Amino acid sequence: MIRTDSATKPRRVSAMRRREWLTGYAFVLPATLVITIFGLFPIGYAIYMSVHRWRIRKGGFIGLDNYLDIVGDWWGALAFFGGLLLIMAAHWLWTDAFRRDGGAVPLVAKLLGALVLLGSGVFVSLGWRLMTEDGDRRFLAGLTRTVYYGFGSVPVQIILALIIASLLFQNLRGQELFRMLYFLPYVTPAVAAAAVFRNIFSPRPERPANTVLSWFGIEPQQWLFEQRPAINVVFGGLFERLGIGELSGFWAGPSFALVTVIIFGIWTYTGYNAVIFLAGLGNIPKQLYEAAAIDGATRVQQFRHITVPLLSPVTFYLTVLGFIGTFQAFTHIYVMRSPNTREAVDTASIVIFDTFYGRNNFSLAAAQSVVLFAIILILTLLQNRLFGRSVFRG
Amino acid sequence: MADQVGTRPVLSRGEPYEFRLSHVPAYLALTIGAVVSMTPFLYMISTSLMTLGETINRRLFPSNPQWVNYQTAWSEADFALYFRNSVIITAIIILGVLVTCTLAGYAFARIEFPGREAIFMVLLATLMIPGTVTFLPNFMLVRGEVIPWGSWLNTLPALTVPFMATAFIIFLFRQFFLGIPHELYDAARIDGAGHVKFLTAVVIPMSKPVLMTATLLTFVTAWNEFLWPLLVTTTPRWRPLGVGLYTFISEAGPETHLLMAGAVITILPVLLVYFVTQKQFTEGIATSGLKG
Repeated sequence: MIRTDSATKPRRVSAMRRREWLTGYAFVLPATLVITIFGLFPIGYAIYMSVHRWRIRKGGFIGLDNYLDIVGDWWGALAFFGGLLLIMAAHWLWTDAFRRDGGAVPLVAKLLGALVLLGSGVFVSLGWRLMTEDGDRRFLAGLTRTVYYGFGSVPVQIILALIIASLLFQNLRGQELFRMLYFLPYVTPAVAAAAVFRNIFSPRPERPANTVLSWFGIEPQQWLFEQRPAINVVFGGLFERLGIGELSGFWAGPSFALVTVIIFGIWTYTGYNAVIFLAGLGNIPKQLYEAAAIDGATRVQQFRHITVPLLSPVTFYLTVLGFIGTFQAFTHIYVMRSPNTREAVDTASIVIFDTFYGRNNFSLAAAQSVVLFAIILILTLLQNRLFGRSVFRG
Repeated sequence: MADQVGTRPVLSRGEPYEFRLSHVPAYLALTIGAVVSMTPFLYMISTSLMTLGETINRRLFPSNPQWVNYQTAWSEADFALYFRNSVIITAIIILGVLVTCTLAGYAFARIEFPGREAIFMVLLATLMIPGTVTFLPNFMLVRGEVIPWGSWLNTLPALTVPFMATAFIIFLFRQFFLGIPHELYDAARIDGAGHVKFLTAVVIPMSKPVLMTATLLTFVTAWNEFLWPLLVTTTPRWRPLGVGLYTFISEAGPETHLLMAGAVITILPVLLVYFVTQKQFTEGIATSGLKG
């Protein structure tokens, strides 16, 4: 055969290129090895552990028994997770389905979307009820507390941070000093900070939180030791007078002890969020504000129509990061809990650690962690789906 | 992009200062917020200097600063050993991260090899995996039950090796290295320099801001790490400060003043580093945070 056209034969890799490849692989090898062994492999191994009997030593294969123990009822779990996915479908109906040529969405689709959203709510709450009847009550209650913790701390952090950032951005004197002080909690070792918080929010009357209350004539509170829902502690008197009595169940909200943990979360992350917002503010072109000012827009209007939409990618990033963070939160809660807090502050990650460390049930702990991971994945998807696209990308 | 990091003031408008009456409420709000957020620190420092009696008697400040509390905590709770351990562990982790992640970040930015993007994406995906999922299998790993390399419990490698590379720092380096002009590499090539030479002689000297950011971020996370050292140190031999403080909490009982002294000892190194590098620190976090 006569080789005439070099383009038709497979390209030979030159020795030089192969050397380049080898250099590339050698460069990425150490980092890839460490991350694969200690970051990637654990997922597979966690699943492997979760389907075996495993208390300190490995036992026989038990299939999905652990998962059934956690969710209690397969149908309940199906309804619950299906309900979560339905939220996505509802959003799709509301915004995208039946939309043609970029026109408006017909009313029928919106109604349908609303209906599906309602249905998803029913599925989620029904599924949850079925799950809690026979499931792993400790873990499921831990998940509820995690949800409280996330919804109690992330929105507050973000709003406070946005206020602080916009105040700081006004070309004030001492901007750097303020920024430094606000950021300090974020770099502080959580063990030490939580040790301090444990003392500040101690039920003893001479400790700072109760001292501050005493200035206003309020009697000392139990803080970290208080198991009752915070809403009952604060408004208990009012409820009694109205004849409602004590609120209970999911909608009664977090316990007073958990609110203390939420305060810690807000204290730690507000400054970090403010610094990221400041960077975001710096990226907004000044001309936009100048043009708006010429058109007679007030400061509030400028904030509403320029700052907020242009910062939305930052807000989105911080929200996702914040929620993932609450699902992983461990150190400060672990330090702030004590025999006296009982289970009041045990979020999902604390329960997992306790199943492993305190109860030595390795396989159940692994199964719990896999479930937590699945929930984080679904939440991230949901957040991307629901808010990811309404974010302004300039 | 490369010259933007660290040179442009990202966090302020950079205009000359001018006082306006409308600033007064802003100052007021910011000051109140700062005082609230500083209260835990003030409480910690103040209490660490009290006598036992003063901690019980609702005093705001010690009448006579008891510096001896620090001495007591230092010797009574073995903080000297924990402190030394923390310094060694953190230094090794920083060194490891800088070496592995610079190499990887450079390769992902500059060297062409098959599967480059795929490997990079897989590494990035690990950022999504929570520590609550990984700690248990990793505990099995270092106990030598998965790979038969013997138990690492209570040794230095158990505390350092798992942290010696993170996808986030690789990402940070890659972004920065992508901004270094190609012409520089072509010129170095003509001069006969390979990747190793180019990396050490040209890229690293140019990358001081991003190296600094990576060092500071790694320092803080390594120094503050708690869950993992708690698991793998059953004896004080290599126990770091955080875990030492935690064991002290359960032992100190009502001795709040000593506990607070221990907390100050744990926090102080981070605060010192933070105060000294404050500007680079926050700007580094701001720029890296926005990219991440």
